[in-house]
Amino acid sequence: MKNLPGTGSPVHPDISALIPWYVNGSIGERERRRVDAHLARCAHCRDELTREQWVYRNMTAETAVEYMPAVSLNRLQARLDSIGVAKAERAQEDEAAAVAADVAADAAAEPRRRSMPWQGLMAASVAVMAVALSFLATDRWLQYRARAAAPAAYYTVTTAVPRAPDEAIRAVFSPTTTLTELQGILDEAQLRIVSGPTEAGVYSLAAKSGRPVSSSLALLRSHAQVRFAESTTSAPIEPLTTP
Amino acid sequence: MTLLAKKSAKEHDTELLAAVAAGSRRALEELYLGYHRRLARFLSRITPRYENVEEIINDTFMIVWQSAKDFRYASQVSTWIIGIAYRTALKSLRRQKNHSAARSLDELPEQTVDPTCDTEVQDWLMHGLNQLPMEQRLTLELAYHMGHSLEEIAAITECPVGTVKARMFHAREKLRMYLPTLGGTASEWTAGGG
Repeated sequence: MKNLPGTGSPVHPDISALIPWYVNGSIGERERRRVDAHLARCAHCRDELTREQWVYRNMTAETAVEYMPAVSLNRLQARLDSIGVAKAERAQEDEAAAVAADVAADAAAEPRRRSMPWQGLMAASVAVMAVALSFLATDRWLQYRARAAAPAAYYTVTTAVPRAPDEAIRAVFSPTTTLTELQGILDEAQLRIVSGPTEAGVYSLAAKSGRPVSSSLALLRSHAQVRFAESTTSAPIEPLTTP
Repeated sequence: MTLLAKKSAKEHDTELLAAVAAGSRRALEELYLGYHRRLARFLSRITPRYENVEEIINDTFMIVWQSAKDFRYASQVSTWIIGIAYRTALKSLRRQKNHSAARSLDELPEQTVDPTCDTEVQDWLMHGLNQLPMEQRLTLELAYHMGHSLEEIAAITECPVGTVKARMFHAREKLRMYLPTLGGTASEWTAGGG
């Protein structure tokens, strides 16, 4: 025979709400004393407590089910191992992917380079030109040094050049002086041209007679066409007198 | 369990979890073996097959392994681990169309029954529990089977205390209605199991 237990709402809901925690022992000390005090004077709540203890006892009753944690643990360990392996593989894959990305980037750049072969030719020709220019510059530099080291192709009055053995005077005439005028001046001064003119227009003059150099020099200096006249001998030169 | 033993167990759990956070597989193993029986018994009441129980436990400890370093010790280690198991179980059960996978008496042969235990009473109770919505059923299991307090269940289920109180209230009300209709004797019910 099945007797129906009471199914109505709890008479004392505030105490009833505490009963599960009273039954499982997790209720606080102050509330436990409150429940104890209430149960001592309330039959309804004592019945409710009895029913709740029955449920609690049967829910906590041990079963003979045996679990095998070691077997489950082995499976968990295997999962953890596979995660470790997967992590390592992911790390390797990431590294490989990074390398592959680099290679792909290089490969992407390579066709561009291949599609413009003229760039290579241009670079090569620039290099050749640079080498050629360097040789040219070196050559020019050597030529310049050689010219600088070589004797000048012209003489100035101060140029240290070998003198003609009988040179007595160096003189520069006006560019407008004609050959006849030059010859007349030289005849008058009893001089002759031994060399020149140089690029600077310098003539080396020698005496044609025993006339003193100073006298010939003074004559030259007296002519308007004579721009410059100077003795090359160590003999004292008389001051040039203005006519 | 005495208060001292409880405190010692908590401290031990805390040490183990710290070691797990540091990457100790040995500590995880010890934690696993320490919780397996409790979790298995809890989970076996809400999911029909041992394979599911094992899967939920292992999923739980995978999360423990991966998240131990993020645990801030705001709650007990046991509360945290059982909370993970609770949520993992709920997800698993919902994946299996929720209650379709819930235990029924037809699947009880998986259990070996203790001959000293009144199996009829337990079967009767189990039928009643199976009628409950999952959250209400789990609230009862956490309170009676696992022995957790109101506040602990709130932490485990990540619900306000008021929600846990409401679930407990409705679970007890429904069980009070279901049990007489499922069978059993008044003496068992009213006399607290005889």
